[in-house]
Amino acid sequence: MLNGEITSIILFFIGVYGIIARRNMVKSIISIGIMEMAIILFLLSVNFEKGMRAPVSGLTSNISDPLPQALMITAIIIGVAVNAIGLSLFINIYHKYGTTNWTKAAYKRRQGGRK
Amino acid sequence: MELYYYIIIPVFIATLVYFLPNRGSRIIAFIMQLALFGMSVYNFVQVKDNGVVTNYLGGWSNGVGIALRADSEASIFIVMTTFLFLITISLGMFKEYIDNTFIFLFVILEALLITTFLSTDLFNIYIVIEISTIAVSILIMYKRDSRSVYDALIYFLSNILGMTFFLFGIAFIYKIFGVLDIYIIAEKMKNINDPLEVILPFGLLMTAACLKCAVLPLFSWLPKAHGTPSAPSIVSAILSGLYVKGGIYLFIRLRSMFQPVIDIDHYFLLIGVITAIVGVILAILQKDIKLILAYHTVSQLGIILVGICAGSIESYYGALYHCINHSIFKALLFIIAGIIIERYKIRNVTEIRGVFRRMPVVSIVAIMAIAGITGTPFFNGSISKYMIQAGLEGNLIKYSIVLVNFGTILSFCKFLSMFFGKDFHRDKGVTLINLIKTLPIFIMGLLCFLLGIMGDALLEVVFNYRISIISYSYLLKSIYFIFTLLLAIALYKYFLSRILKRLKPIEFELTFNHIALSIVVFFVITVIFGLI
Repeated sequence: MLNGEITSIILFFIGVYGIIARRNMVKSIISIGIMEMAIILFLLSVNFEKGMRAPVSGLTSNISDPLPQALMITAIIIGVAVNAIGLSLFINIYHKYGTTNWTKAAYKRRQGGRK
Repeated sequence: MELYYYIIIPVFIATLVYFLPNRGSRIIAFIMQLALFGMSVYNFVQVKDNGVVTNYLGGWSNGVGIALRADSEASIFIVMTTFLFLITISLGMFKEYIDNTFIFLFVILEALLITTFLSTDLFNIYIVIEISTIAVSILIMYKRDSRSVYDALIYFLSNILGMTFFLFGIAFIYKIFGVLDIYIIAEKMKNINDPLEVILPFGLLMTAACLKCAVLPLFSWLPKAHGTPSAPSIVSAILSGLYVKGGIYLFIRLRSMFQPVIDIDHYFLLIGVITAIVGVILAILQKDIKLILAYHTVSQLGIILVGICAGSIESYYGALYHCINHSIFKALLFIIAGIIIERYKIRNVTEIRGVFRRMPVVSIVAIMAIAGITGTPFFNGSISKYMIQAGLEGNLIKYSIVLVNFGTILSFCKFLSMFFGKDFHRDKGVTLINLIKTLPIFIMGLLCFLLGIMGDALLEVVFNYRISIISYSYLLKSIYFIFTLLLAIALYKYFLSRILKRLKPIEFELTFNHIALSIVVFFVITVIFGLI
């Protein structure tokens, strides 16, 4: 049975695979995004059971846990900032080194930044 | 006094400087920074007299809202933070390349660091570290040199990756315990009998903390971030002196949180020893001033880790004291390296000569800092290293720490050789303005000496711990030190300096994929060690 927690653990390790195996800088940033989404899914489904309602005032029974939802809004915002900064750094690197490949960029850094 | 003032005031200073772009606002900011330092000392005295101070933000009860907690360790770290920021801001305030955005980010970093020391909420700590990663990576690429942008990207992504592990660990912790406050979790941890229940959050959280402490397989971001060519020297000073201590503090708290269930100090002890040895070997082989210092940070962090995990109370306090000492002399060395690079426009140690003639005051301060880091008798490093060594068990670890210390001395012979020799450029004497400019670093150099001769009194005041430095064995250590120094000088002069001239710079380069792989491997090994 595939519930939220198991899905998120699988997603997390897909992200880990992407980071280890892909040499493209954009794909690395995307992989970090996937890992973050996996964690958000995990925390939201921690104490969740089918049929639970959103924590809005007026309801008294069968309410899902409000704390993870509040935390995950913050985590999503942080994730957006991280992606934005990662991508802008990447654009800067691409203009200077002319490559999206980690290995080539490392080589060019050793050469002192010649294109 | 409420604890959140220590976070609000730096944020206020930063905003003030950002929105009022003139010199007057900078002077006001400097005075407020001075006041903040005074407040933190006051807070420390309060904590000393009345015990631990805890504030619950927003009036929530314990465990529901975020709590700020200042015990004696946290408050001494805060005093250290405000002091170092005061020094670095006073040095960098009126430099041309420092604009308002820079000061904004720099002072915000101070607020974030203080929050890491105060906050007890795991998620809050995650947010703070994540934001400070962003701030730091912008600060180190501030001059937009292509190499420093690459270094910033590596630093940024590897730390974000580590913090992703941290967040996943928090998720597991929340699933198991239902709270996020470190001290409540530590209480609840006592009810857990099977380590298997908490092994995953342990591995995830510890991997992130060890990444921040820059232990062996995970340190390759540190020389990049701290030693990148064009980073402003005050940023390097803060990063190497203070920022890594945030990681150490996080490690200490997480370790004590998991201690009732999982206790793998022997594993971290081993990692600490290997980190110290590898760090010092790489430092010896470098020629770039900043990279030498960055690799020494790695090795000193290894020594601190050894002290924390050695299991005896003496080395534990020695490690904490070494944190304070290291932050002072390492920040000082980075600042001095910045001054030297600014004057000479080269970074190669083997080419810079005659610094003593050109800048006598700076050189004297530099020699004080070097005396601190090498553990010269009567200087601060000697006390903390003595304490760490005194608490160690087992000859192998003891001798490897001695070896690391020898390596440190050998590597700083390289540094010392800069001060001698002939240099035909001469600065125009010692003027009053120059003396005022060097006053902050002179205070720090003096502190290296004062923390050494008053080390035992200070330890008693700060940590309530009375050390018994046996004068006979301290004397023996001093004689031993002189012999090591002579040996190291001889070895440097007749062997190392000749090798270094021919050697191409060796950098421990890992691409980002390898860094990610090492993080995952470290995580797996930590989990395996936690289980057996």
